[in-house]
Amino acid sequence: MIPLDQHTMLAQTNHDEESRQDFVNDFRVHLASQVFPGNFPTYFNRVLPQFVKNKGREPTDRHEVRKVMTKDPYYQMWSAMQRSSQEMIWDSVVDSVERQLPELNAKAKQSGNKGSLILDPDLEIPKYHTAADIHLQPGAYHSDQSDDDVAAGAVYDRGTYIYSMGGLGTGNNGLGQITQGFFKNEFPDKELERVLDMGCTIGGSVVYWAQQMPDVEFHAIDVGAPVLRYGHARAESLGGAVHFSQQNAECTNFEDNSFDLVTSHILLHETSRTAIQNVFNESYRILKPGGIMMHLDLPQAHGTPPLEGFLFEWEIYNNNEHFYAQLRDMDLVEVCRKAGFKEENIHPKSAGSIWMDDKTPYADDGFEFPIIIGIK
Amino acid sequence: MPNDDDKKIKLPRTAKGKKPQYFSDPTIDKLLSMVLTLMGELSVTRDRLDTVERLIENNGLFKVDDIEGYDIPDDVNQARMERRSAYIARVLKSVQDELDSLQAKGDGKNTQLPEE
Repeated sequence: MIPLDQHTMLAQTNHDEESRQDFVNDFRVHLASQVFPGNFPTYFNRVLPQFVKNKGREPTDRHEVRKVMTKDPYYQMWSAMQRSSQEMIWDSVVDSVERQLPELNAKAKQSGNKGSLILDPDLEIPKYHTAADIHLQPGAYHSDQSDDDVAAGAVYDRGTYIYSMGGLGTGNNGLGQITQGFFKNEFPDKELERVLDMGCTIGGSVVYWAQQMPDVEFHAIDVGAPVLRYGHARAESLGGAVHFSQQNAECTNFEDNSFDLVTSHILLHETSRTAIQNVFNESYRILKPGGIMMHLDLPQAHGTPPLEGFLFEWEIYNNNEHFYAQLRDMDLVEVCRKAGFKEENIHPKSAGSIWMDDKTPYADDGFEFPIIIGIK
Repeated sequence: MPNDDDKKIKLPRTAKGKKPQYFSDPTIDKLLSMVLTLMGELSVTRDRLDTVERLIENNGLFKVDDIEGYDIPDDVNQARMERRSAYIARVLKSVQDELDSLQAKGDGKNTQLPEE
């Protein structure tokens, strides 16, 4: 695969580690392009006719499709291979990180001070984060494996690049490219002084924003200490000034009316129904009057045909994305209303790779992320 | 003297959370994991061999026939044994995962494997 852009925190791969990661990427590209599409003829030519024969009608929703598709041998084989490929991502990355961890931890400690890092060892990690390791990343984003640990961040950096099959761009910042391109188009006259990115993990998106807008003050929060240590050091290496702090987006220590823009990139679906409302309430509280809330996340179920709806939920049941199930049916406009946003200031939109300036082989796939906007 | 290996940081290799069963017999799930891992490792080996062959060609270091006459020194033999052991563990990870999860359920008790 096309190599990730270098920065000082990136774990270096030896010959076989690089080859193993290349294999996992190519295997996943094959699964996505050659095996996954077979689920459609499997459904329409085999599973659906049998369902109609048995019940005298077609399935009404994705849940009914799940009951029959999960028994089909073609779907089972694709699904099992997809799950294995996800496990193989992390397995292909952990070796290189483990080998270099003491040096990476030391490097992070000595990183620059264009931005900053504040950790809170007493922060309670929310249950939606600890219940299972999100995306099957062993140890998840919050577990320290050593003193001054950056392992989760180092594993995440390379792992998400393979997960997206390079679709996040060689700077691993594709979602930041999308939100910034979309924002500039949507709000061309909006002046920014202070911006917050919630649930930033290693800061892939916010660092891109900071690189493009060096005069704006950027803050980024996450509950995971190792991803923040790594993220801060990575940001310094890439020349992005970002102030990272370990906080829960549901309840931050930022002052009322203090941000021009509060954003997040695929954070909501990792939290709970209650947490999503809290995140919107908190966004409203800390926004200045006229400030903009802009949360990008994964597609919801509304209006999706039963088969597509079922297939899109694979990650929920097979990739430890359990809380995405709640977001699928939520009314985010209502969540905005409850948070205090006025009806005329709530705008459900969507944005995709058309806004990326980094055209990778997989970027131009037409995939659209929903973006919920609220203006205070 | 503490062994260096004791001080080495070991990162977790298996994600917390229930693993779905895909096939009617869970053994098939494990066999598939092994086959896919083998696919990966064979690909890695083929890439490495390709690198070696290209370097030989570029540098004219030795004849490919020399490979057949290679006498394996003890230290190389030892290194190969260690690599093979890690390789076997990687391919058989799905079996080890089940054992780890059974041992974790036992809360540290009954972790001894039965004697044959």
